[in-house]
Amino acid sequence: MTEAKRGEGVTRSARDLCWNCQSEVGGEYFCPQCVKVQPASVWSDYFDVFGLPRKLGLDLEELQRRFYDWSRKFHPDLFQRATPEEQAISLENSALVNTAYRTLRDPIARVEYLIGLEEGAVKGIPPKAPLDLLEEMLLVQEALEGAKASALDAQTQKRLTDERARLAERRRAEEERLLDVSREWDALVEGSSAASRDRDDLRRKLLDRMKGILAVRAYLTTVINDLSDALGEDSQTHVSHRRH
Amino acid sequence: MAYSDKVIDHYNNPRNVGSFPKEAPGVGTGLVGAPECGDVMKLQIKVNVDTGVIEDARFKTFGCGSAIASSSLATEWLKGKSVDEAAKIKNTDIVNELKLPPVKIHCSVLAEDAIKAALADYRGKWGKKEAAAGAAAS
Ligand code: FES
Repeated sequence: MTEAKRGEGVTRSARDLCWNCQSEVGGEYFCPQCVKVQPASVWSDYFDVFGLPRKLGLDLEELQRRFYDWSRKFHPDLFQRATPEEQAISLENSALVNTAYRTLRDPIARVEYLIGLEEGAVKGIPPKAPLDLLEEMLLVQEALEGAKASALDAQTQKRLTDERARLAERRRAEEERLLDVSREWDALVEGSSAASRDRDDLRRKLLDRMKGILAVRAYLTTVINDLSDALGEDSQTHVSHRRH
Repeated sequence: MAYSDKVIDHYNNPRNVGSFPKEAPGVGTGLVGAPECGDVMKLQIKVNVDTGVIEDARFKTFGCGSAIASSSLATEWLKGKSVDEAAKIKNTDIVNELKLPPVKIHCSVLAEDAIKAALADYRGKWGKKEAAAGAAAS
Protein backbone atom coordinates (compact mmCIF):
# COMPACT_ATOMS: atom_id res chain seq x y z
CA MET A 1 0.00 0.00 0.00
CA THR A 2 2.67 2.41 1.01
CA GLU A 3 4.48 1.36 -2.11
CA ALA A 4 1.60 2.29 -4.32
CA LYS A 5 1.45 5.66 -2.65
CA ARG A 6 5.13 6.23 -3.12
CA GLY A 7 4.66 5.54 -6.78
CA GLU A 8 1.74 7.87 -7.18
CA GLY A 9 3.36 10.74 -5.47
CA VAL A 10 6.79 11.84 -6.35
CA THR A 11 8.80 11.03 -3.31
CA ARG A 12 12.36 10.01 -2.84
CA SER A 13 13.81 8.67 0.34
CA ALA A 14 16.57 11.26 0.57
CA ARG A 15 15.94 14.58 2.26
CA ASP A 16 17.85 17.44 0.77
CA LEU A 17 17.92 21.11 0.16
CA CYS A 18 17.08 22.46 -3.24
CA TRP A 19 20.27 23.49 -5.01
CA ASN A 20 18.57 26.64 -6.20
CA CYS A 21 16.41 28.08 -3.44
CA GLN A 22 17.70 26.06 -0.46
CA SER A 23 14.24 25.05 0.63
CA GLU A 24 13.77 21.52 1.77
CA VAL A 25 12.96 18.91 -0.84
CA GLY A 26 11.55 15.78 0.71
CA GLY A 27 12.17 13.56 -2.25
CA GLU A 28 10.40 15.47 -4.99
CA TYR A 29 11.86 15.54 -8.46
CA PHE A 30 11.07 19.21 -8.78
CA CYS A 31 11.47 21.64 -5.93
CA PRO A 32 8.05 22.48 -4.47
CA GLN A 33 9.12 26.08 -3.94
CA CYS A 34 10.95 27.16 -7.05
CA VAL A 35 9.96 24.27 -9.33
CA LYS A 36 13.54 23.65 -10.43
CA VAL A 37 14.52 20.14 -11.44
CA GLN A 38 16.47 18.25 -8.77
CA PRO A 39 19.47 16.04 -9.47
CA ALA A 40 18.60 12.36 -9.65
CA SER A 41 21.95 11.32 -8.28
CA VAL A 42 20.62 11.74 -4.76
CA TRP A 43 18.19 8.89 -5.26
CA SER A 44 19.55 6.03 -3.35
CA ASP A 45 19.14 3.31 -5.97
CA TYR A 46 17.49 2.33 -9.25
CA PHE A 47 14.41 0.97 -7.53
CA ASP A 48 14.07 4.30 -5.80
CA VAL A 49 14.30 6.14 -9.10
CA PHE A 50 10.94 4.67 -10.04
CA GLY A 51 9.53 4.61 -6.55
CA LEU A 52 9.39 0.83 -6.67
CA PRO A 53 10.05 -1.50 -3.76
CA ARG A 54 13.42 -3.21 -3.78
CA LYS A 55 12.14 -6.57 -4.91
CA LEU A 56 12.99 -8.95 -7.71
CA GLY A 57 9.45 -9.53 -8.87
CA LEU A 58 8.63 -6.27 -10.61
CA ASP A 59 5.51 -5.14 -12.35
CA LEU A 60 7.08 -4.52 -15.73
CA GLU A 61 4.18 -2.51 -17.08
CA GLU A 62 4.29 -0.24 -14.10
CA LEU A 63 8.03 0.12 -14.50
CA GLN A 64 7.63 1.08 -18.13
CA ARG A 65 4.88 3.54 -17.37
CA ARG A 66 7.00 5.30 -14.80
CA PHE A 67 10.01 5.24 -17.07
CA TYR A 68 8.09 6.98 -19.85
CA ASP A 69 6.78 9.42 -17.34
CA TRP A 70 10.23 10.42 -16.09
CA SER A 71 11.76 10.42 -19.53
CA ARG A 72 9.17 12.91 -20.57
CA LYS A 73 9.61 15.12 -17.53
CA PHE A 74 13.38 15.19 -17.81
CA HIS A 75 13.54 15.38 -21.56
CA PRO A 76 16.32 17.80 -22.51
CA ASP A 77 14.03 19.44 -25.06
CA LEU A 78 11.95 20.79 -22.23
CA PHE A 79 14.97 22.50 -20.78
CA GLN A 80 16.18 24.30 -23.85
CA ARG A 81 15.43 27.65 -22.37
CA ALA A 82 16.44 26.74 -18.84
CA THR A 83 19.65 27.73 -17.11
CA PRO A 84 22.79 25.71 -17.84
CA GLU A 85 22.51 24.11 -14.38
CA GLU A 86 19.03 22.89 -15.07
CA GLN A 87 20.03 21.64 -18.49
CA ALA A 88 22.91 19.70 -17.02
CA ILE A 89 20.71 18.22 -14.31
CA SER A 90 17.99 17.20 -16.72
CA LEU A 91 20.55 15.56 -18.97
CA GLU A 92 22.07 13.62 -16.13
CA ASN A 93 18.65 12.63 -14.89
CA SER A 94 17.66 11.35 -18.31
CA ALA A 95 20.80 9.26 -18.50
CA LEU A 96 20.30 7.84 -15.03
CA VAL A 97 16.66 7.05 -15.64
CA ASN A 98 17.64 5.25 -18.82
CA THR A 99 20.29 3.12 -17.17
CA ALA A 100 18.00 2.38 -14.26
CA TYR A 101 15.25 1.29 -16.63
CA ARG A 102 17.50 -0.88 -18.76
CA THR A 103 18.88 -2.58 -15.66
CA LEU A 104 15.59 -3.24 -13.94
CA ARG A 105 13.76 -4.30 -17.08
CA ASP A 106 16.14 -7.19 -17.60
CA PRO A 107 15.53 -9.94 -15.05
CA ILE A 108 19.17 -11.06 -15.04
CA ALA A 109 20.66 -7.58 -14.83
CA ARG A 110 18.12 -6.83 -12.10
CA VAL A 111 19.38 -9.71 -9.98
CA GLU A 112 23.00 -8.69 -10.55
CA TYR A 113 22.17 -5.15 -9.57
CA LEU A 114 20.33 -6.22 -6.45
CA ILE A 115 23.22 -8.42 -5.36
CA GLY A 116 25.55 -5.44 -5.73
CA LEU A 117 23.21 -3.29 -3.66
CA GLU A 118 22.75 -5.87 -0.96
CA GLU A 119 26.39 -6.73 -0.64
CA GLY A 120 27.69 -3.20 -0.84
CA ALA A 121 31.30 -3.16 0.18
CA VAL A 122 31.02 -6.49 1.97
CA LYS A 123 31.43 -8.95 -0.85
CA GLY A 124 30.62 -12.52 -0.04
CA ILE A 125 32.79 -15.34 -1.28
CA PRO A 126 32.99 -15.38 -5.06
CA PRO A 127 31.03 -18.26 -6.48
CA LYS A 128 33.14 -21.25 -7.27
CA ALA A 129 32.12 -22.98 -10.43
CA PRO A 130 31.56 -26.68 -10.27
CA LEU A 131 34.66 -28.28 -11.75
CA ASP A 132 32.72 -30.61 -14.00
CA LEU A 133 31.03 -27.63 -15.61
CA LEU A 134 34.40 -26.00 -16.32
CA GLU A 135 35.68 -29.27 -17.70
CA GLU A 136 32.69 -29.59 -19.94
CA MET A 137 33.06 -26.00 -21.18
CA LEU A 138 36.71 -26.66 -21.91
CA LEU A 139 35.83 -29.77 -23.91
CA VAL A 140 33.24 -27.92 -25.96
CA GLN A 141 35.73 -25.12 -26.61
CA GLU A 142 38.42 -27.55 -27.67
CA ALA A 143 36.05 -29.35 -29.99
CA LEU A 144 35.01 -26.01 -31.39
CA GLU A 145 38.61 -25.04 -31.92
CA GLY A 146 39.16 -28.25 -33.84
CA ALA A 147 36.05 -27.68 -35.93
CA LYS A 148 37.10 -24.13 -36.77
CA ALA A 149 40.51 -25.31 -37.96
CA SER A 150 38.89 -27.08 -40.88
CA ALA A 151 36.06 -25.85 -43.07
CA LEU A 152 32.65 -26.25 -41.51
CA ASP A 153 30.98 -29.04 -43.41
CA ALA A 154 27.29 -29.69 -43.05
CA GLN A 155 27.87 -32.43 -40.54
CA THR A 156 30.01 -30.34 -38.23
CA GLN A 157 27.60 -27.49 -38.55
CA LYS A 158 24.80 -29.72 -37.42
CA ARG A 159 26.84 -30.99 -34.52
CA LEU A 160 27.65 -27.47 -33.35
CA THR A 161 24.06 -26.36 -33.76
CA ASP A 162 22.82 -29.28 -31.68
CA GLU A 163 25.43 -28.59 -29.07
CA ARG A 164 24.36 -25.00 -28.86
CA ALA A 165 20.70 -25.96 -28.54
CA ARG A 166 21.57 -28.32 -25.71
CA LEU A 167 23.51 -25.63 -23.86
CA ALA A 168 20.81 -23.03 -24.45
CA GLU A 169 18.32 -25.43 -22.92
CA ARG A 170 20.50 -25.72 -19.85
CA ARG A 171 20.79 -22.00 -19.60
CA ARG A 172 17.03 -21.72 -19.67
CA ALA A 173 16.86 -24.20 -16.82
CA GLU A 174 19.33 -22.09 -14.83
CA GLU A 175 17.24 -19.00 -15.48
CA GLU A 176 14.20 -20.85 -14.18
CA ARG A 177 16.12 -21.67 -11.03
CA LEU A 178 17.09 -18.05 -10.69
CA LEU A 179 13.43 -17.09 -10.84
CA ASP A 180 12.65 -19.57 -8.08
CA VAL A 181 15.35 -18.14 -5.87
CA SER A 182 14.16 -14.63 -6.71
CA ARG A 183 10.72 -15.53 -5.41
CA GLU A 184 12.24 -16.92 -2.25
CA TRP A 185 14.15 -13.69 -1.84
CA ASP A 186 11.05 -11.56 -2.19
CA ALA A 187 9.22 -13.73 0.30
CA LEU A 188 12.06 -13.22 2.76
CA VAL A 189 12.08 -9.47 2.24
CA GLU A 190 8.33 -9.22 2.67
CA GLY A 191 8.02 -11.58 5.59
CA SER A 192 8.88 -10.59 9.11
CA SER A 193 8.18 -13.78 10.95
CA ALA A 194 11.60 -15.40 11.14
CA ALA A 195 14.03 -14.38 13.85
CA SER A 196 16.50 -11.84 12.62
CA ARG A 197 19.50 -14.11 12.88
CA ASP A 198 17.83 -16.76 10.80
CA ARG A 199 16.87 -14.08 8.35
CA ASP A 200 20.46 -12.92 7.97
CA ASP A 201 21.51 -16.47 7.45
CA LEU A 202 18.89 -17.13 4.84
CA ARG A 203 19.60 -13.80 3.19
CA ARG A 204 23.28 -14.69 2.80
CA LYS A 205 22.40 -18.14 1.51
CA LEU A 206 20.01 -16.82 -1.09
CA LEU A 207 22.52 -14.24 -2.30
CA ASP A 208 25.15 -16.93 -2.67
CA ARG A 209 22.76 -19.15 -4.54
CA MET A 210 21.90 -16.34 -6.93
CA LYS A 211 25.57 -15.64 -7.50
CA GLY A 212 26.23 -19.30 -8.15
CA ILE A 213 23.48 -19.52 -10.73
CA LEU A 214 24.63 -16.31 -12.42
CA ALA A 215 28.14 -17.72 -12.68
CA VAL A 216 26.97 -20.96 -14.26
CA ARG A 217 24.86 -18.93 -16.61
CA ALA A 218 27.88 -16.81 -17.56
CA TYR A 219 29.93 -19.89 -18.48
CA LEU A 220 27.11 -21.28 -20.56
CA THR A 221 26.55 -17.93 -22.27
CA THR A 222 30.20 -17.58 -23.22
CA VAL A 223 30.26 -20.98 -24.88
CA ILE A 224 26.90 -20.43 -26.55
CA ASN A 225 28.16 -17.14 -27.98
CA ASP A 226 31.38 -18.73 -29.17
CA LEU A 227 29.39 -21.45 -30.89
CA SER A 228 27.21 -18.84 -32.54
CA ASP A 229 30.26 -16.93 -33.71
CA ALA A 230 31.72 -20.07 -35.21
CA LEU A 231 28.44 -20.77 -36.97
CA GLY A 232 28.63 -17.29 -38.39
CA GLU A 233 25.62 -16.03 -36.52
CA ASP A 234 25.38 -13.01 -34.34
CA SER A 235 25.66 -14.00 -30.75
CA GLN A 236 22.91 -12.65 -28.62
CA THR A 237 24.90 -10.75 -26.12
CA HIS A 238 23.30 -9.99 -22.88
CA VAL A 239 23.69 -6.45 -21.59
CA SER A 240 25.50 -7.58 -18.54
CA HIS A 241 27.66 -10.11 -20.30
CA ARG A 242 30.95 -8.43 -20.91
CA ARG A 243 34.07 -9.75 -22.40
CA HIS A 244 36.96 -8.39 -24.45
CA MET B 1 39.79 -1.64 -25.32
CA ALA B 2 43.33 -0.49 -25.89
CA TYR B 3 45.74 -3.25 -25.01
CA SER B 4 49.33 -2.64 -24.00
CA ASP B 5 52.11 -3.79 -26.36
CA LYS B 6 52.95 -6.65 -24.06
CA VAL B 7 49.39 -7.92 -24.05
CA ILE B 8 49.28 -7.72 -27.82
CA ASP B 9 52.58 -9.56 -28.10
CA HIS B 10 51.40 -12.42 -25.87
CA TYR B 11 48.06 -12.45 -27.61
CA ASN B 12 49.59 -12.72 -31.06
CA ASN B 13 52.37 -15.09 -30.03
CA PRO B 14 51.10 -16.94 -27.01
CA ARG B 15 53.88 -18.94 -25.36
CA ASN B 16 53.42 -22.50 -24.19
CA VAL B 17 49.95 -23.18 -25.53
CA GLY B 18 48.91 -26.77 -25.16
CA SER B 19 48.36 -29.58 -22.71
CA PHE B 20 50.18 -32.31 -20.81
CA PRO B 21 48.49 -35.61 -20.09
CA LYS B 22 46.86 -35.05 -16.72
CA GLU B 23 48.20 -38.18 -15.12
CA ALA B 24 51.79 -37.88 -16.39
CA PRO B 25 54.44 -37.88 -13.65
CA GLY B 26 54.94 -34.50 -11.98
CA VAL B 27 52.06 -32.84 -13.81
CA GLY B 28 49.70 -30.56 -11.91
CA THR B 29 46.57 -29.18 -13.57
CA GLY B 30 44.57 -26.12 -12.65
CA LEU B 31 41.24 -25.43 -14.28
CA VAL B 32 39.49 -22.22 -13.28
CA GLY B 33 36.84 -19.85 -14.54
CA ALA B 34 35.89 -16.22 -14.14
CA PRO B 35 32.25 -15.91 -13.10
CA GLU B 36 32.19 -12.28 -14.24
CA CYS B 37 32.60 -13.15 -17.90
CA GLY B 38 32.39 -16.91 -18.17
CA ASP B 39 35.92 -17.33 -19.46
CA VAL B 40 37.82 -20.52 -18.77
CA MET B 41 41.54 -21.13 -18.23
CA LYS B 42 43.54 -24.32 -17.91
CA LEU B 43 47.12 -24.13 -16.71
CA GLN B 44 49.47 -27.04 -16.19
CA ILE B 45 52.90 -27.42 -14.69
CA LYS B 46 55.36 -30.26 -15.13
CA VAL B 47 57.57 -30.58 -12.09
CA ASN B 48 60.74 -32.55 -11.71
CA VAL B 49 59.64 -34.70 -8.81
CA ASP B 50 63.19 -35.12 -7.55
CA THR B 51 64.10 -31.44 -7.40
CA GLY B 52 60.72 -29.77 -7.02
CA VAL B 53 61.53 -27.45 -9.91
CA ILE B 54 58.96 -26.63 -12.55
CA GLU B 55 60.48 -27.72 -15.83
CA ASP B 56 57.67 -26.89 -18.17
CA ALA B 57 54.26 -25.26 -18.25
CA ARG B 58 51.32 -25.15 -20.64
CA PHE B 59 48.07 -23.28 -20.84
CA LYS B 60 44.84 -23.17 -22.72
CA THR B 61 42.66 -20.13 -22.25
CA PHE B 62 39.30 -19.47 -23.79
CA GLY B 63 38.86 -15.88 -22.86
CA CYS B 64 39.76 -12.30 -23.54
CA GLY B 65 43.12 -10.99 -24.72
CA SER B 66 44.18 -10.06 -21.21
CA ALA B 67 43.41 -13.52 -19.91
CA ILE B 68 45.38 -15.11 -22.72
CA ALA B 69 48.31 -12.76 -22.11
CA SER B 70 48.14 -13.30 -18.33
CA SER B 71 48.28 -17.06 -18.65
CA SER B 72 50.95 -16.96 -21.34
CA LEU B 73 53.10 -14.74 -19.13
CA ALA B 74 52.40 -16.98 -16.13
CA THR B 75 53.71 -20.06 -17.93
CA GLU B 76 56.90 -18.16 -18.81
CA TRP B 77 57.38 -17.10 -15.22
CA LEU B 78 56.67 -20.57 -13.86
CA LYS B 79 59.41 -22.32 -15.78
CA GLY B 80 62.54 -22.75 -13.70
CA LYS B 81 60.83 -21.79 -10.45
CA SER B 82 60.49 -24.13 -7.51
CA VAL B 83 56.98 -25.03 -6.47
CA ASP B 84 57.31 -22.78 -3.42
CA GLU B 85 58.55 -19.82 -5.42
CA ALA B 86 55.73 -20.30 -7.89
CA ALA B 87 53.21 -19.98 -5.09
CA LYS B 88 54.38 -16.41 -4.56
CA ILE B 89 53.32 -15.16 -7.98
CA LYS B 90 50.55 -12.61 -7.46
CA ASN B 91 48.01 -11.27 -9.84
CA THR B 92 49.34 -7.77 -9.14
CA ASP B 93 52.71 -8.83 -10.61
CA ILE B 94 50.87 -9.72 -13.79
CA VAL B 95 48.87 -6.50 -13.76
CA ASN B 96 52.08 -4.47 -13.47
CA GLU B 97 53.95 -6.38 -16.12
CA LEU B 98 51.12 -6.24 -18.64
CA LYS B 99 49.83 -2.82 -17.58
CA LEU B 100 46.29 -4.09 -17.32
CA PRO B 101 43.57 -1.50 -16.74
CA PRO B 102 41.24 -1.86 -13.72
CA VAL B 103 38.46 -3.53 -15.71
CA LYS B 104 40.88 -6.30 -16.67
CA ILE B 105 42.14 -7.12 -13.22
CA HIS B 106 39.84 -10.08 -12.89
CA CYS B 107 41.62 -11.62 -15.91
CA SER B 108 44.91 -11.59 -14.01
CA VAL B 109 43.16 -12.98 -10.94
CA LEU B 110 42.10 -15.86 -13.12
CA ALA B 111 45.76 -16.57 -13.91
CA GLU B 112 46.75 -16.46 -10.24
CA ASP B 113 43.89 -18.80 -9.40
CA ALA B 114 45.02 -21.15 -12.15
CA ILE B 115 48.59 -21.22 -10.82
CA LYS B 116 47.34 -21.95 -7.31
CA ALA B 117 45.04 -24.68 -8.55
CA ALA B 118 47.83 -26.30 -10.58
CA LEU B 119 50.19 -26.21 -7.61
CA ALA B 120 47.56 -27.68 -5.30
CA ASP B 121 46.83 -30.43 -7.79
CA TYR B 122 50.53 -31.17 -8.15
CA ARG B 123 51.03 -31.28 -4.38
CA GLY B 124 48.07 -33.57 -3.93
CA LYS B 125 49.25 -35.97 -6.59
CA TRP B 126 53.02 -35.85 -6.34
CA GLY B 127 53.94 -33.94 -3.22
CA LYS B 128 54.53 -37.11 -1.19
CA LYS B 129 56.93 -38.50 -3.72
CA GLU B 130 58.76 -35.20 -3.74
CA ALA B 131 59.13 -35.33 0.02
CA ALA B 132 60.29 -38.92 -0.13
CA ALA B 133 62.82 -38.07 -2.83
CA GLY B 134 64.07 -35.12 -0.80
CA ALA B 135 64.47 -37.30 2.28
CA ALA B 136 66.33 -39.93 0.30
CA ALA B 137 68.68 -37.33 -1.19
CA SER B 138 69.67 -35.79 2.13
S1 FES C 1 37.20 -10.74 -19.72
FE1 FES C 1 37.07 -12.74 -19.03
S2 FES C 1 39.01 -13.21 -18.37
FE2 FES C 1 39.20 -11.28 -19.22
